[in-house]
Amino acid sequence: MAGRSVNGRHGLRGHAGRTAALARLLHKECIQLLELYRNSESLPSSPVDGGYLVSVPPLVPQLSDAEKICILHAALKECLRLLEDVITREDEEFSNEDSEYKRKRKTVRDRLGHLLASTEQLLVDGQKFEAKVKEELDGQVASGSFGLKMWIVRVLQDLVHWTGQTSDTLRSMPAEMEKAPKTMSRRTRRGAGKIKK
Amino acid sequence: MPCQYRRKDTKTSRCEFCSPDLVYSAFPVSGSSLVSMQGWVTLALLLSLGVKRSLGQNGVGELPVPRGLTLNPDLPAQTLSLTWQSDSSLFDLEIFHTELMNVVLNETVAVKADAVTGLHSWTWHSPLPLECTSHSVRIRARNQQSVGQWSPLQTIPGSDIPEKSESYMFPQDKVVPVGSNMTFCCIVKEKEDFKDMIYRRQEMSATRLSRRTYAITVTNQPASGNTGTNVICSSQRSTLTGAVVFVGYPPGDEGLVCETRDLASAECSWKKGRDTHLRTKRSRTKYTLNGRDCLEANERKTWWCSSKVWEESWSLLARNPLETVQLTDSAQLTDRVHLLAPVNVTAVEVKAWSATLRWSWSVAAYKKLEMVCQLQLFAHELSSTRNYSSPGLSSVELEGLWPDLDYTVTLRCGSKHSFWKWGDESAPYRIHTKMDRPDALDVWIWMDSSNTRRVFWKPLSLRKSHGALIGYEVSQNSAEEDGWTRVFLPPGNFSYPIILNNSSDITVAVAARNPAGLSQPSTVTTPAYRADSQLSVSELLAINGSFHLSWQPNANASSGYAVEWVPTGCSGLCPVDWKKVPESDSSFSVNSDSLVAGVRYTVSVYSLSTGAPTLLQRWQGYSQEMVPSQSVSDLSANQTGSDVLLSWKDTAMEHQRGFIRGYTVYLANAAHLDLIANISDPEVQSYRVKGLSLSLFKFVVKAYTSAGEDAGSTVAIKVEMDTAIMLFIGILVPLGIMFCCLILVSICCYKKREWVKKAFYPEIPGPKVSGDWSSPRGPLDVKPSPHSVVHIVESPGWDFTKEGLFPVPEEEEESENDNIEVDTDSDEPALLRYYNQVVGDGSHSNHVSDSSGSSTASVGSTQTEITYAGIQSPTSSQGACGGGGYRPQMQSVAAPAEPQIEFGDDFQDDALNTGYKPQCSWQMDSPEAENFSGSLGSPTSVTSSQFLIPESSEEKPQPSNTWFHNFLSGKS
Repeated sequence: MAGRSVNGRHGLRGHAGRTAALARLLHKECIQLLELYRNSESLPSSPVDGGYLVSVPPLVPQLSDAEKICILHAALKECLRLLEDVITREDEEFSNEDSEYKRKRKTVRDRLGHLLASTEQLLVDGQKFEAKVKEELDGQVASGSFGLKMWIVRVLQDLVHWTGQTSDTLRSMPAEMEKAPKTMSRRTRRGAGKIKK
Repeated sequence: MPCQYRRKDTKTSRCEFCSPDLVYSAFPVSGSSLVSMQGWVTLALLLSLGVKRSLGQNGVGELPVPRGLTLNPDLPAQTLSLTWQSDSSLFDLEIFHTELMNVVLNETVAVKADAVTGLHSWTWHSPLPLECTSHSVRIRARNQQSVGQWSPLQTIPGSDIPEKSESYMFPQDKVVPVGSNMTFCCIVKEKEDFKDMIYRRQEMSATRLSRRTYAITVTNQPASGNTGTNVICSSQRSTLTGAVVFVGYPPGDEGLVCETRDLASAECSWKKGRDTHLRTKRSRTKYTLNGRDCLEANERKTWWCSSKVWEESWSLLARNPLETVQLTDSAQLTDRVHLLAPVNVTAVEVKAWSATLRWSWSVAAYKKLEMVCQLQLFAHELSSTRNYSSPGLSSVELEGLWPDLDYTVTLRCGSKHSFWKWGDESAPYRIHTKMDRPDALDVWIWMDSSNTRRVFWKPLSLRKSHGALIGYEVSQNSAEEDGWTRVFLPPGNFSYPIILNNSSDITVAVAARNPAGLSQPSTVTTPAYRADSQLSVSELLAINGSFHLSWQPNANASSGYAVEWVPTGCSGLCPVDWKKVPESDSSFSVNSDSLVAGVRYTVSVYSLSTGAPTLLQRWQGYSQEMVPSQSVSDLSANQTGSDVLLSWKDTAMEHQRGFIRGYTVYLANAAHLDLIANISDPEVQSYRVKGLSLSLFKFVVKAYTSAGEDAGSTVAIKVEMDTAIMLFIGILVPLGIMFCCLILVSICCYKKREWVKKAFYPEIPGPKVSGDWSSPRGPLDVKPSPHSVVHIVESPGWDFTKEGLFPVPEEEEESENDNIEVDTDSDEPALLRYYNQVVGDGSHSNHVSDSSGSSTASVGSTQTEITYAGIQSPTSSQGACGGGGYRPQMQSVAAPAEPQIEFGDDFQDDALNTGYKPQCSWQMDSPEAENFSGSLGSPTSVTSSQFLIPESSEEKPQPSNTWFHNFLSGKS
């Protein structure tokens, strides 16, 4: 098949391949972002308790690839919202001076937006899913600046986790998913506003 | 009394403080030994009972117990306010960490009751946040002699009570000054263990305050980073909790100044001062100006505030959590006018020497303001600042500009009255002035010989050219000719040769031309040439590299003087320089900038008038003397007897580089120079070195100036004997030696004359016959035998008159030739025959084969044929006998079949001798063989082995190679 890529076990190609590569790149950048933040704040590398802020149903093998993509897309969407909250809170609360962390933060935000747009094209039949988010920010802020910092770490941990999940899922996705974008985009336009599959 | 505090230690012990009738006293409880808590409580009860009994016995129970003790904590401030009622005014206070009953305060205080409320109040500042753990307080009255009973414990609960099971850290987000000390506590959540507390990446030593509370104390805290300093409490598994502390400085702002830009509103600015290091939203500095929030500073992080209305006094409050700083300023509006920059600056009329500049103002109110404006002009090497003043000034006339120049103009203005500061500067504006005619040239004429002149002029500077020059016009005329002869030269020329005619002076005019026109011509008249030799040229000494000249004023110098300096001896295109001096001056200094060190300059002063310049005085000098660059030339050394005369010549003037002050003469040794003369008169250029021995000498001659000696020239000379002595030794002595030798040789020859005679002129003995001469002696009939033929060749070395040799008539031989084999030597000119007087049997030898080929005719004959050297034919002489001289027969040697090897050695030895060799063939079996050596040189018969000259002791010929031994041994 022309244009077949060597990426992934099943040989991803075209848009899905590019999306998987984007997810993999974003995953690495999220790891770097978390590391930069921990270094700048002298925080220990041990994870912050409390689990993930964004929660979705478990990605069991019984789910189809399309369903997994739909669920991950919803998780990433919440991650982007949380990251934007982080940016707003951080810039408001602390100094707005330029730093490597802040440059990387902007890069991750932009790339996460691209990944969302890219995965949206992989959704089949306009499937939509909504992830749940533990709105713990207010409680953390009440505990002071340290609570805010811990919340930021948790958001960044979520970013690392969900981008990693997305990258892994896209890598394992079979080539048949390539057919999805055209159908999906057409159906997405028709079924705009639908929440459930 | 109700139970105020009940807690259960889930681990080790149980502590209950709920007995209504029990009066508690302080008892220490080890934080690490809660197991023994129950024992301690029992002990405390016993002690308190004992104290109660003791007090009762002493009658001190009269002091009433303070009533109504209430605790009011201020958690952020970490203060605890106590109020109570009592009639006393002196109290003992005790504060505990409740859980472990650690005493944190035990103090006696004097507190008077409030006159209105009748309450006593006292405030305690806790070093530990009050949330960290529960605090209990009790109080008792005291007077001089006694103390009352303790009030019941009043407790404020901490956050480590079981009802609050999560992790906490206190204090949170506190802002403290740099260098302060703080205590942080970490309350570990239930069922978690405590690992450590980290402050600024450093693990701190923690103290346990209660079952779940641990505390660290940090001292002398440094300033925080952008997001504060983190304090982190961790368990073995994860990060439990933490806090951020913001350590910084109070506001350092200073220097508030308010001014107006538009003559109505105000702008107040100040200096930020020291960085507070407090950058969070809550800790950064907030500003208010005259009670109004300063939005510019608070939101845009600038250090100025604006106000729409001018107020005569201004107050700025800079506030951060640590401190509030107030800055004030007061002034009239007219005293604080800071004008904006002029806009639309343009040059409306630009000329060569002036321009008009116009601009406008963005604030209409400026038009009535009495203002002063400063205009700055920048050009290449030309910059100036000019001030103009007028109400609402908006245009100026720029005078004093230079033609053809690029100017950059900037403008700024200020209030003329109560000038405060210059306003903002306008954007740079560029003006290019127009061209104008060049200025007149500075011209001089220089004479390098009697009939050549060269007119020089100095290049015009940018300020004088007034535009790019096109070239120069050189005009000349003489008194004898009418009109001017003009020549146009391109701009790179700065001199022009003048050809003189015979008598009249020539006037030269030079003018420069640019696109704007021609300059005023500068004229000069050729002066008369005067060589240096015609003048008394004095030596000129430089001071600090400069020539300081002075001369007698000349009445004819109506146009002043001209000082000219040029390298001495220069001709052609020389670097002529000059300076014209006003007539009022009679001195001048030639700066070192225009002089080259080590170059001799001729400096002349001319008086200038309407005619030709007149030379007044001339000097020569160096701005800085240096050592000569070349050594003396033509250094030679000539020997005169035992003296050597050294002579040399000066080096060329350009290499002298200073006035030659003398010469030094050195004798060069292997490693150093020995000074043998210092000639201080530079005119003396020879030196005689006297009394030298016969050897090789090297002399070094150096010229020196005031700066030192040159490298030196070297000459070498080998001092030899005188010619007369050489003649004597070379001719007469060998002659004398020769003469003496001759005399000695003569004496020796005379004394050894006999030996000499024998050695060099031996007598040839007559032939003798050896053997048996028994035949009867009778008349010997001598018949010529046809076979006994002696061929004798005429030789100058032989005397044919010798005894025993008789010439044989040729006719007889010829007759014999018919019967016998013709001898190969028959063609010789003379043949001699002789006959042996005695013919023995022994002479009839059969050794025919031993005979030479040439003698085969004698076979079987009794005759003896003798062949002498030189008689042999040329063919036979080519035998192997070798060597020159006499070789009668050679065949025996030449024939390889002949058995002659046995005696070859001896024979060859003899054959090498150049003496007389009658034969080369003879036989070893000859009875005379043992004496053959003594017979060498004797004639031998070719048919016999006998020598013709018999050996005798007295006549035995000596070997020719022993004569020198005999000579030395004195034999004769």
